[in-house]
Amino acid sequence: MATTTTPSPVVTTSIFRRPMSTAGFWSWVTTADHKRIGILYGYTAFVFFLLGGIEALLLRIQLAGPDGAFLSAAEYNSLFTTHAVTMIFLFVMPVSAAFFNYLLPLMIGARDVAYPRMNAVSFWIFLFGGIFIYSSLIFGTSPAPVGGNLPGGGTDASFLGSIPNGGWFMYAPNSGLEFSPGTSLDYAAVGLQILGAASLISAVNFIVTIFNMRAKGMRLLRMPVFVWMTLVVAFLLLFSLPIIAIALFMLTFDRQFGTLFFVASQGGDPILWQHLFWLFGHPEVYILILPAMGIVSEVLPVFSRKPLFGYPAIVFAGAAIAFLGFGVWAHHMFASGIPTVAQAAFGLSTMTIAIPTGIKIFNWMGTMWGGRIQLKTPMLFSIGFVSLFVIGGLSGVTHSIVPSDWQQTDTYYIVAHFHYVLFGGSIFGLFSGLYYWFPKLTGRMYNERLGKTHFWLMFIGMNLTFGPMHWLGLQGMVRRTWVYSADAGLGPWNLVATIGAFIIALSVLVFMSNWAYSKRRGPISPPDPWDARTLEWSLPSPTPEWNFGKEPVVHSLDDFWHLKYEPVEGGRVRRRDNADELVAELMDLHANPEEEIHLPAPSYFPFIVGLGVFIVAYGIIYHTRPWGIPMIVLGMLLAVGSFMGWGTEPLEEIHEEHDDDPGHDDHATAPASDLAGVDD
Amino acid sequence: MAELAHDPYAENALDIMFPPPEGGHGGHGHHESTGIDNRKLGMWVFLSSEFLFFGALITNYLLFKGRDFGADALYPVELYDIPFTSISSFVLLMSSLTMVLAHSSLARGDQEQTRVWLMATATLGLVFISGQFFEFTEFVNQGLKLNVNPAASAFYMLTGFHGAHVVIGVLMLLSLWGFSIRRGGLSEDHGMNLELVGLYWHFVDIVWIALFVIVYLIR
Amino acid sequence: MTTEIAHDEHHVRHPEPKDYVKIAVVLAVLTVMEVSLYYIEVNVEGIGQRITVPLLLILSGLKFVIVVGWFMHLRFEKSFLAKFFSVGAVLALVLYFIALAALGAVHFFG
Repeated sequence: MATTTTPSPVVTTSIFRRPMSTAGFWSWVTTADHKRIGILYGYTAFVFFLLGGIEALLLRIQLAGPDGAFLSAAEYNSLFTTHAVTMIFLFVMPVSAAFFNYLLPLMIGARDVAYPRMNAVSFWIFLFGGIFIYSSLIFGTSPAPVGGNLPGGGTDASFLGSIPNGGWFMYAPNSGLEFSPGTSLDYAAVGLQILGAASLISAVNFIVTIFNMRAKGMRLLRMPVFVWMTLVVAFLLLFSLPIIAIALFMLTFDRQFGTLFFVASQGGDPILWQHLFWLFGHPEVYILILPAMGIVSEVLPVFSRKPLFGYPAIVFAGAAIAFLGFGVWAHHMFASGIPTVAQAAFGLSTMTIAIPTGIKIFNWMGTMWGGRIQLKTPMLFSIGFVSLFVIGGLSGVTHSIVPSDWQQTDTYYIVAHFHYVLFGGSIFGLFSGLYYWFPKLTGRMYNERLGKTHFWLMFIGMNLTFGPMHWLGLQGMVRRTWVYSADAGLGPWNLVATIGAFIIALSVLVFMSNWAYSKRRGPISPPDPWDARTLEWSLPSPTPEWNFGKEPVVHSLDDFWHLKYEPVEGGRVRRRDNADELVAELMDLHANPEEEIHLPAPSYFPFIVGLGVFIVAYGIIYHTRPWGIPMIVLGMLLAVGSFMGWGTEPLEEIHEEHDDDPGHDDHATAPASDLAGVDD
Repeated sequence: MAELAHDPYAENALDIMFPPPEGGHGGHGHHESTGIDNRKLGMWVFLSSEFLFFGALITNYLLFKGRDFGADALYPVELYDIPFTSISSFVLLMSSLTMVLAHSSLARGDQEQTRVWLMATATLGLVFISGQFFEFTEFVNQGLKLNVNPAASAFYMLTGFHGAHVVIGVLMLLSLWGFSIRRGGLSEDHGMNLELVGLYWHFVDIVWIALFVIVYLIR
Repeated sequence: MTTEIAHDEHHVRHPEPKDYVKIAVVLAVLTVMEVSLYYIEVNVEGIGQRITVPLLLILSGLKFVIVVGWFMHLRFEKSFLAKFFSVGAVLALVLYFIALAALGAVHFFG
C-alpha cells in the first residue's frame, strides 16, 4: 500500500532530536494525532472508572446494613469524595474527551484538530493531574482538626482517609485549614485546578476546530449532532472553568497563604464559595450529559433506519440547555439561606430547562417512532439512556420546587436523581458510543451476545442500586453519613442497593472481557457495518492515520448516507443500485491517498509540559518545605521551556502546530525511506 | 432530511464528492471556514473566557470591600494613592499604543522599528509592575497585609492576578524581541505571534481600565 | 475626532501610526476626565457618587470600546469575533451581578 504520509522533516534547531517514529511506546508518548490522543484518554479514563467503581463498592458494603463497621467515618468521607471526583473529572469528562478527540475531525472532514500539540498537552496534564490526586493516597495527610477529633472519633486518619475528603464540592469552612488540616484537601484543590486547565485548553482547541476546519460545504447546520454537542460543551467549559479556577485559587490561598476569603470567623464568606463553585458546577453537569446526548442522537437514527427527528430543534435545544444552564446554579443552594427572591428566581429558571430537554426527548422518541428498530447493543444503551434519563430528569424537576427541595436536599433522593442522570444518562450514552464506534476504532466487531449481557446486567443493576434511593431519601436517609441506625428501617432497601452495585460491577467485567477479546480476536468488521449516516463511516476501519485520503465536499446533512441512498417518492429513500461499488471506491480513495499528506509531527514537548505542571503542583503544596520552592521553579522551567521550545522550532514545524499542513516548507518532499529507522 | 430538494449524487457521485480543486492547488493548507486565522480565533476565544476569570476576582473584591470587619479594620480604600495609580494607569495605557505601533511597524516590514516598539512596550509594562510592587510594599508597611482581613485579601488577589498577567505579557514581549534579534527579524508566521501577543497585551490593559475605575476611583 | 478616523478606516483599511497616536491621546484625555471626576466627587459638596459613578463607568466603557475596537482591531475584523468576544463579557456581567445581588452586596451607592 503506497502511503505517502511524511512526518515532519528532521531539521530542527532544538537540543533534542525530533521524534519520528509512529510505532512503539515512545510514539504514544510523543503523539500529536487526535485519534491516538483519543485512545489515550479513553483507556486512562477507564482505569479511573474502575477505581471510582471500587470506591463505590466499598461505600455500598459499608451501607449494606445498619450500623456498618466496614469503614470508619473518616474513610467513608474520603471514599465518597474521591468517588465523585474520580467519576466526574477523571472518568466522564475524559471519556467524553476521548470521543471528541477521536471523532470530531472525522465527522467534519478534517485531518486533525486546530492545535494538535496543544491537544496532547491537554491529555498529559489530565493524566498527571489524576495521578497527582491519587498520589494523596501515599503522600496525603488528614489529621483531626486542632483540638478536635475526626468525624466518628479518633485523631489519625488511616491510609484511605488521606485522599480528598471534603466532598467533591469542598464546601467552606470545612475545606479550610481549621477543619481540614493536613494536605488531602490541597491535593484536591490543586489537582482540580490542573484538570481544569487541561479542559480549558481542549475547549479552545475544539471551538476553533469546529468553526474553522470543516470540510467545504459542511455548514454549521449540516454538522452531526455529536459535533454540535461538542461545540456546546466546549462553550460551557470555556466560560465555567475560569470561575472554578478562581474559587480554587481562593481556597488554595486561604489554606497556603493565609488569606481570609472563606474564613467565617474573620469575616470571610462561605456562601461566596458556594456561589463560585456552583456557577461552575451547574454548567459542569451539562458538560457531563451533553456528550452522551450527542452520542444517542447519532445512534438512534442509525438503528431506527430513520433520520433524526427534528434535527434543528435538537441542535437548538442543546444550545438552549447550555445557555439556560448558566442561569440555575443557586438551585444547589436553596437550603443555604439565600434570599427568598433568589430562591424563587432560580426555581423558575430551573423549571425552564425542562423545556429544551423535553424537546430532545420527544425528538428522540420521534426518531424511533415508525422506524425499523434494530436492537443491537449500541441501540439498547441509547434506548436505556432515554428512559433512565427521563426518570432522572423528572426527579430533577421536583427539585426545582423550592419547598420540595428543602425536604429532598441532603437526602438520598438527590443521590438517586443524579445517579439516574449521570449513570443512566451519561454512562449509558457513553457505553452506547463505545459499542457503536468499536468497529471504526478497531476494524473488528465486538461480541453481540456479551454486549447484550452487559446491557441487561447493567440496566438491572443500576435500577436496583439507585431506584430504592428515591424512597430511602424521602424516608429520611441522609447523605454523606457513614452509618444509619437499625430502627430507621432503611436496611432492606440498602441491601438491595448494594446487591445492585455488585451486579453493575459484574456487568463491567463482561464489558471488559468483550472489549479485550474482540479487539484482538473479534471478527473483522466491514468499514460501515451499521450502514450509518455520518462521515467517519466513509473511512476504512481502523481509521487511517491521515483520516481522509481526499477531503470531501459536503452537500447536505448526513452526506455519506445520501451517497448511498437516493430520494424517492413520498419522502423515502432507496439504496442506490451502485451503492456498494460507490462505497468500495470511496474506501479505496481514502485508504490510498494520491497526494502528499503532511501530518502533525510527534513531539516530546507536550509530555514535558505535563510533567512540569505535575512538579509545580507538588511544589505548591509543599512550598514551606526546603525543596518546595525549587520544585515550583523546576516545574515552571520545564513547562515554560517546553512552550518556548515548541514555539521556536523551525517554520515547518510551527506550521504543524497551528496548521496541519506545512504548505510552503521546502523539506516536505523528503521521501519516507529517509526517515525509516531514524527513531525507533 | 430524507427528502432532499434534489439528489446531489445522482450521477458521477464521487466526482461530486471530490471535485477537482480550484486554482490547481492540491489540498495544501486548510481553508479556514470562518475566514479567520486559527491562532487569531483561538486567542479571541481564550480572551473571552478571561472575562469570567477577572469577573470572579472583581466580584470577590466588590463583596468584601465594604464589609464590616470591626472598628480597627484597615481597608484598602483608605490607603490608595490616586495620583500615583493614575500615573501607573497612564503608563499601561501608553504601552497599548507602543504595542500597536510595533504591530504596525511589522506590517510595514520595518523589523528594527518593530523591535524598538516591542522593547518600549515591555519596558512600560515593567514600569507598571514596579509601580504595583512599590504600591503593595507601601500598603504592607502601613499595615495592609494579605491576611489582615478579607478585603485586603481580595484587593491583593485581584491586582496580583492582573499583575501576574502583565508579567507573563512582558515575558512574551521579550521573547518576541529576542527572537527577532536572533533571527534578524520576525517572519510572516511569527508576525502572527506578535499580533497574538498584542491582543493579549491589550486585553490586560482593558482589565486595568476596568480595575482602575472599579477598585480605585469608585470608593 | 474619532469619526474622522472612522472615515479614514473605511477607505484606508488599516489605521496609520499617526491615527493610533490620536487614539492614544483620546484615551489619555478620558483618563484625565476620570481622575478629575474622582477629585470633584471628593472635594465638591453636592456631587456624590450617585452622579460620578455612572459617569466613571461610561468613561471607562468608552476606553474599553476604543482599545478593543481600534487597538485590538476588532472594528475591522469579521463580526464573528466581536460576537464571540461579547458573549464572555455579557455572560460575566450578568452572572456576577446576580451572584452579588444574591450575596446581598448590591446596594446603590451606600
